[in-house]
Amino acid sequence: MGMERLDLPQGTLDLLILKTLALEPQHGWAVSERIQQISSDVLRIQQGSLYPALHRLERRGWIKAKWGASENNRRAKFYELTKSGRKQLEAEESAWRKLTMAVGQVLEETA
Amino acid sequence: MITDLLYRLRALFRRKSMEAELDEELRAHFERQVEKYIQSGLTRQEAARRVRLEFGGLDQVKEECRDARGVNFVETLIQDLRYGLRQLRRNPGFAAVAVLTLALGIGANTAIFSVVNAILLRPLPYPHPDGIVHVNLVWKGGGVNDTLTGPEFEFYRDHASAFEAIAGFRGGPDLSIKQGGASEWISSLRVTDGFFKVLGVAPVLGRGFLREETRPGSALSVVLSDAVWRKAFGADPAVVGRQVEMGDANYTVVGVMPPHFTFIEQPADAFVPLQLGRSIEDTGMNTHVIARLKSETSLAQAQANLNVVFEQLRRGGSIQSGQQGVQLVSYQKWLAGDLRPSLLMLFGAVGLLLLIACANVASLIMARATARQREISIRRALGAERGRLLRQFLAESLLIALIGGAAGLLAAVWVLKGLVSSIPWDIPSTTHIGLDGSVLAFTFLVALGSSLAFGLTSYWQTSLLDPNAALKEGSTQGGRSTSRSRARSALVISEVALSLMLLVGAGLLIESLYYLHQQKLGFDPQHVYTMNTPFAPDARVTADQVWNFEQQVLGHIKAVPGVTSAAVVTLPPLMGPNNLPTQQEGHPEHSIGGMEYRAISPQYFQAMHIPVLQGRGFQETDTASSTPVVMVSETVARAWWKDKSPIGDRLVVGEYDGQQFPEVLEPPREVVGVVGDVKNLAIYEDEPTTVYVPASQLFRPPNSTAWVVRAGSNLALGAELRRAVTAVNPDQRVLRLQSMSDVVAKEVAHPSFDALLMAIFAALALALTSVGIYGVLSFHVAQRTQEIGIRIALGAKRGNVLLMVVGQGAFLAAVGTGIGLASALALSRFLSSLLYGVKPTDPPTFIAVSLVLAAVVLLASYIPARRATKVDPMVALRYE
Repeated sequence: MGMERLDLPQGTLDLLILKTLALEPQHGWAVSERIQQISSDVLRIQQGSLYPALHRLERRGWIKAKWGASENNRRAKFYELTKSGRKQLEAEESAWRKLTMAVGQVLEETA
Repeated sequence: MITDLLYRLRALFRRKSMEAELDEELRAHFERQVEKYIQSGLTRQEAARRVRLEFGGLDQVKEECRDARGVNFVETLIQDLRYGLRQLRRNPGFAAVAVLTLALGIGANTAIFSVVNAILLRPLPYPHPDGIVHVNLVWKGGGVNDTLTGPEFEFYRDHASAFEAIAGFRGGPDLSIKQGGASEWISSLRVTDGFFKVLGVAPVLGRGFLREETRPGSALSVVLSDAVWRKAFGADPAVVGRQVEMGDANYTVVGVMPPHFTFIEQPADAFVPLQLGRSIEDTGMNTHVIARLKSETSLAQAQANLNVVFEQLRRGGSIQSGQQGVQLVSYQKWLAGDLRPSLLMLFGAVGLLLLIACANVASLIMARATARQREISIRRALGAERGRLLRQFLAESLLIALIGGAAGLLAAVWVLKGLVSSIPWDIPSTTHIGLDGSVLAFTFLVALGSSLAFGLTSYWQTSLLDPNAALKEGSTQGGRSTSRSRARSALVISEVALSLMLLVGAGLLIESLYYLHQQKLGFDPQHVYTMNTPFAPDARVTADQVWNFEQQVLGHIKAVPGVTSAAVVTLPPLMGPNNLPTQQEGHPEHSIGGMEYRAISPQYFQAMHIPVLQGRGFQETDTASSTPVVMVSETVARAWWKDKSPIGDRLVVGEYDGQQFPEVLEPPREVVGVVGDVKNLAIYEDEPTTVYVPASQLFRPPNSTAWVVRAGSNLALGAELRRAVTAVNPDQRVLRLQSMSDVVAKEVAHPSFDALLMAIFAALALALTSVGIYGVLSFHVAQRTQEIGIRIALGAKRGNVLLMVVGQGAFLAAVGTGIGLASALALSRFLSSLLYGVKPTDPPTFIAVSLVLAAVVLLASYIPARRATKVDPMVALRYE
């Protein structure tokens, strides 16, 4: 594998899933692939934690699921963002930005 | 929130399809990933292996998904319950002991709660019963009287503003009601006009009483109970307005009460107006007063209002000297009266018993948890969550508690039958003691509470286990963790302390009972029969006629074989008060307002074995035409004549403090003798001051006569006595035919009942505690078999080993006894109203019960200690 990979900080998985689904409805495997690709393979999702996270988000009403045909024409469960999910994404995104900015500032100041 | 709920519900009810979807989803993911790896050049086999590694356990992922869906709670609960059931089935001995122990605790609680519920908690069967109060009179010394004088009642009725209605009532005579040819006896209650308004129940036909009808001399009216209306009037809807002859008078029926109405305090067949006049009965303290508060008025506000009115009355100068004020008490509380402290004590006692039972079950579970510790450690090491383990513990406890609760409920049903039939209290027949919704709810909550109590306790100590340490020790001897044995020791200590408290309570009550039985009655109830013959109010007899009747009946009674002596008396001892104001002639300072007054025939003292101390008893020569005579009790003689002899002096019945009461005034009587004191009113009271007059020298006819008959041995005289009366007058009623011993037994029935129940509870507590101690010590011995074996191998004497184990038991007992003694000292004062002749902190009782407890604990420790001494070192060392 060679390349250094980062474990996701607690709670960021939900944010990443929401963000990924904001672009277009996806099934589970595609969500994990997409996150990996966009982060240039730095972020790798533990396969085991993806599905519980999806089910949790669905229960909260931020995403909803329906069965459809995947790109290779197989039956797959597609998740899409709901209205309240979109709001949640915005809130989490801005919180994340604030956090990283603040952490960044502290790191630079004391460097 | 709603989406969440819908999701969970869907997840719960469409479990199967959702499981299938999850399977499919995960399989799809799995295949895609495998394909991806195959494309990057791996063989299918390698690819699959890698995906599986990445994925982690598929089942674990599924479990997490289920958790995320939120269904898991119910499912795991069912799983946990099944697991618990399996555990119990695997260990039936443990299950049986735990369930039985709990059934005992819960059964006792349910039974006592049923009584508490019926008497203290269930509201009275009247609308808005909270608003009904009883008016009491308070003396300066703190004593309380439950009756007022007529004028006092009228003053409060006319001046207090806090009441919507206020009413006085007094028991009435039984009335004979003539219907067709036959006449029937019905009970009556005399009430004032506010009575039905206070209770909040209006007649279904007609009306209640008007103020005019309660004025002396006005025409008589009657309100019938439903029962009498049906029985004597054939449920005639036109009965209102009809004239009916009852007793010696004509009454107009003005109303009929609804079918389910009863006046709980004193059920009656008919209500007649209480007409308050100037008679001694009306001006004396003979009227009960109840009132209904205005809807916006609190008890405290009403009390404040009544205090003001009392001051007005005091300024008017018409209160009795020594009166402190009046007091309002919730009518329900008032009705429960003396039962309240008894019931609260018994309820507290069964509560303690349940705690002991819970401690025992917790201790049992702990012991078993230690045995299961390897299993638990392995499961912890394999990743079982603490929460899940806790749930399993609770589920198992819940099962034990529910089964125990059900068994307890069955036991309570069975016990209640016996309990209710042996309750010595006057409980209105309308008060149903049994299982109802609130009792069932109570039992369920108690079971739930107990399961939480011992489930959490036992989990707490198991969670102290370090899975690694337990596994490393690698043997069944792993449980040497001191924290755990400390937890069980703490349980045993609290059991000892709780038992001690119960023992102290039982000890104090038994001692009171002993003192009650030691009380000198002043008469000998053995082989004495008594009965009562009330005269109908319409009999219009003269005193002479009554005496004539009495002499004839006495003649018949004395002819019965086996009867050694017989006499009449106004009222035998312990059957109620009958007093008149009495004064030494010419000495207003020697007067008693409530002098007990008994008219007797000559053989009374002989029949009752009451000693004549000075002078003579009454004789056949004391007649209506001879000098009026009187005998006084010892206390009266001492109070008024000190060391001098009262014989030859005179006293006046109907005079008090120089004041005369014409209605009851008698000519002066000459004192001819002094007799021993008798407990006429109650065993636990001081001997009342009593005067005796000859039944042959009465100036007014008595309205009732009672009889005492001494037989040579234990004869059943009932039928003969009744025949002796009806032989003289076939219409004469005979009531309360009983043996004097039964009368005395009834007097101590209540304290005996309390003491008996407390003794049973204390004995059960003691048994449970000794089982608890036995269990803990046996367990210790088993745990330390190896150590004991080594000690013995190294030369320890068996006596030392015995002492070591017994010493441990003694230590637990000593600490528990200390705590128990302190708690009992703090709590026993609540029993003071139930005690007689013994202080709540009576040192001998405390010492005695501590010794009993110590003996039981040592006995319980001895068996495991013996077992420890029998340890064979070779076997113990090979034990591993």
